[in-house]
Amino acid sequence: MNAIIKVEHLSKTFEITQSQKGWSGALRGLIKPLKKKIAAVKEVSFELKPGELVGYLGPNGAGKSTTLKMLTGLLVPTSGVVQVNGLVPWRDRTKYVASIGAVFGQRTTLWWDLPVQESFDLIQYMYRIPDKRYRHNMDLFRDILGLDPFINTPVRSLSLGQRMRADLCAALLHDPKLLFLDEPTIGLDVVAKDKIRQFIKHVNEERKTTIILTTHDLQDVEKLCERVIIIDHGQLLFDGTLEALNNRFGGQRTLQVDFAETYPDVSIEGAGLISHEGLQATYQFDRDILSASDLISRLSNRYKISDLSVREPAIEDTIRRIYVDKLLEN
Amino acid sequence: MLRRLFTTYLKFIQIQILSQIQYPFSFLFDVFTNGISLLIFFLSLSLVLQRFDNVGGWRLGEIAFLWGTAEIAFGLMDMIFSGFDPDSFSVMVRQGTLDQMLLRPANITIQIFGSRFILRRLGRIAEGLIIFTISQVLSPIVWTLPRLLFYPVVIFSQILFFGGLFIAGSTITFWTIERIEAVNILTYGGNEMISYPMHIYPDWLIKFFTYLIPLIFINYYPALFFLGKPDPFGMPAFAPFLAPLAGLGVFLASLWFWKFGLRYYQGTGS
Repeated sequence: MNAIIKVEHLSKTFEITQSQKGWSGALRGLIKPLKKKIAAVKEVSFELKPGELVGYLGPNGAGKSTTLKMLTGLLVPTSGVVQVNGLVPWRDRTKYVASIGAVFGQRTTLWWDLPVQESFDLIQYMYRIPDKRYRHNMDLFRDILGLDPFINTPVRSLSLGQRMRADLCAALLHDPKLLFLDEPTIGLDVVAKDKIRQFIKHVNEERKTTIILTTHDLQDVEKLCERVIIIDHGQLLFDGTLEALNNRFGGQRTLQVDFAETYPDVSIEGAGLISHEGLQATYQFDRDILSASDLISRLSNRYKISDLSVREPAIEDTIRRIYVDKLLEN
Repeated sequence: MLRRLFTTYLKFIQIQILSQIQYPFSFLFDVFTNGISLLIFFLSLSLVLQRFDNVGGWRLGEIAFLWGTAEIAFGLMDMIFSGFDPDSFSVMVRQGTLDQMLLRPANITIQIFGSRFILRRLGRIAEGLIIFTISQVLSPIVWTLPRLLFYPVVIFSQILFFGGLFIAGSTITFWTIERIEAVNILTYGGNEMISYPMHIYPDWLIKFFTYLIPLIFINYYPALFFLGKPDPFGMPAFAPFLAPLAGLGVFLASLWFWKFGLRYYQGTGS
């Protein structure tokens, strides 16, 4: 299938004026400002197929927002090609933004003083959504997002979770093929997060909307994304499935064992002993070297075991290792 | 196309107005205090002026005409161009509100016009009307047909002139992030400046506001025509009618600068 988003060698360099120290520095800055070039995004390339739900990840300042701003047409890149739905985002702004949906978690598209419903009506007008289509979508979203309790409340009086639900609805009323979500669960409680995730999944599966999601909450990624793209320092570090990411960088699985008796030494070849207290011990082992069943049989040959559990490496640990250790840097 | 822009604008403005009159008492009180504080300033000044009998050969009623006209126009401008007020615009850029507007499929300039419409400026307009009325009691103007037709043109020109300065001042914040005080000197200072007969100012200042920023043509010269006064600078006879040219010129130049600034903003971002 043809790509819905095509990004080739996308780069964005900012020129910033540095402030210099002290009075003499300030004076020098007035005469000859010290300019510094910062590459926020460097040669990033990727493609998205229609219907994909991709997590776009990276630590703070990695270049996520800059990429997203270029994909939504807010920023013009320094170099590179972006094609979304056959359009160049920054070229024909009004035409382009009418074809996408975007939710920036920290801000709202809605009108602060207007009741939610009136904000939606205004969106219908701006996006020229046909009445029938609008009513159909409205009924659907009211139902699955549970908007009814606050549909007549002014936006400024909504809770963060309610506002996010309203914003998601607003972004989808015009049936965009593509949805950009920037930190959609930021600041929400567990229940609200779960609701939002379910909705995102629903939109992706039922409406076949292509979704790009940036988040710092890796539970979002685990629950929603099959594919992740990771960038840091403006460069693409990884692009592939979550599973591939885990296989490549996930490293160690852990095995927790409860023994039936106390043993003075429970170390075993092929696995590292992380902790041993009383009846309980925890091992770490590499899937490439030793399978879980081999390790368990080795252990049970030597000790009496009352209970055990294997834990896959958490995506959170994997990503943390990539950020911290720069595993993917050449 | 144009009609759509206009309805979009009206829809936005309607929201602004409705939300402001939600609490009628506090709204009316705002309007009242806004107007009354300015009016008191004029009245206290007029007491001083009466002692001198005239300023630069102009009597109190004639100065009141200058003053009232400038206040009506500036009040209207400040209301219509609220969205482009550099003070609030710089905040809009910093908080990402501008980005949110750029994500909507509607003309960005119209969206900014529609983002604010400060109704309590009606207070300033009312104050202007009162001072205008005082001027007509003290030094009545003979309202011939040309004068009657030209007066709204003058008001309109002043709105465009200062509105243009608002737009230019907002555009500058793309580069400076913070608002620039110098712009306020031109707008609020300029409004005060044209409230007096401009020949009382030092020569270099008059030259500056004739050739560089043509403030002199939007209130002082039209007033010469309305009051039937001779031109102390010996400009061509059409000088009083340059007001629309000055207003439109500043407005269009600012719009061009605004478009340029927007392109810069999207090229470098925040």
